[in-house]
Amino acid sequence: MRDLIKMIVVLAVICTTSGVVLSYVNSATEAPREYQYVKFVQEPSMKAVLSGYDNDPIKERIKLVAGKDAEGNPIEMVVFPAKKGGETLAIAYSASAKGYHDLIEVMVGVGPDGKLTGVSIMSHTETPGLGARIVEPEFTDQFAGLDLDTTKLSAEGGSVDTLSGATSSTTGVIAAVSAALEQFPQIKKETF
Amino acid sequence: MSVVKEFTKGFWQELPPFRLVLGLCPTLAVTTAAENGLGMGLATTFVLVNSNLIVSILRKVIPSKVRIASYIVVIASFVVMVELLMQAYFYPLFKILGIFIPLIVVNCIILGRAEAFASRNPIVHSLADGLGIGLGFTISLTILGGIREILGSGKFFGAEVMWSTFEPLSFMVKAPGAFVCLGFLLGFMNIISRRRPAH
Repeated sequence: MRDLIKMIVVLAVICTTSGVVLSYVNSATEAPREYQYVKFVQEPSMKAVLSGYDNDPIKERIKLVAGKDAEGNPIEMVVFPAKKGGETLAIAYSASAKGYHDLIEVMVGVGPDGKLTGVSIMSHTETPGLGARIVEPEFTDQFAGLDLDTTKLSAEGGSVDTLSGATSSTTGVIAAVSAALEQFPQIKKETF
Repeated sequence: MSVVKEFTKGFWQELPPFRLVLGLCPTLAVTTAAENGLGMGLATTFVLVNSNLIVSILRKVIPSKVRIASYIVVIASFVVMVELLMQAYFYPLFKILGIFIPLIVVNCIILGRAEAFASRNPIVHSLADGLGIGLGFTISLTILGGIREILGSGKFFGAEVMWSTFEPLSFMVKAPGAFVCLGFLLGFMNIISRRRPAH
């Protein structure tokens, strides 16, 4: 009996200490990790959808709250403004939706008129050779100039051609871009 | 054995993965370039030294029946720590090593040293053991990564080192090349050992 108690106590203490130490390391590294994510994952995509600016959209990134999610927690968003001479030309922000396999994260650039300046795929786990071709410029270029109404499959009256053999991936990208554009009116109020 | 002996054995007699044939899975997978091998080796060394330290400190406290469970929690905690630190300060390397960072938990070298050494030796000796074997592993990975990088892509640590008409053997940076390279290095080390009968 005493052995059993000793075993339970030792394991409980080791696990609790581990939990405490790790949660400390987690919060201590939160800021550097966020910065690395912005720099290596978001920055290349952001540069792909914004152009003609003279500021540093990353340094001037704005954090907003855009509505609440299913559990009532506020959804935080980061918006990158592209400015010239102090005036905001366009903004870039991200959204995600399920593709064929898992979530596809896209970065969209939107001008003040609600039209897309560009779309860039930040991350995905689609099938190589098929769905993974959503990253190709031939696919993403067709989003430039579209707005919420035209971001649909051409078969549904929009202007987006499906990638052959990758319908689910295409609709996933369209869903993510549409979700982003739907949030635009609210974001526009706080950024332009 | 003296502390210094515990430290230096990690560089030859018990050099992983060539003499102490453990930890082959990450060895083959991440040594596509010298820098990746170096990064993986250092991450593993961090975990090995710290887990040896904690296991040695607690060696009289942990009951024998729950020792494996305890060692695994300790090792896994340090692996999570190294993963968070790499995400925060070495993001590109973190992306390249990918899933092999969390897999350090099941690297046999670490659990092996905890069970075979740190659980029955004093703290300073355990630290020396962890540091020596960890650094030996790092050197092995860097050399193996270097050979595969030079032959497979003409570069060393990212810098071009071969003559301009050199055709890289891309076989070297893929899985079969890893096995072949490992085999040659193992054979080479066996030849050298055989020539020193005193050891």
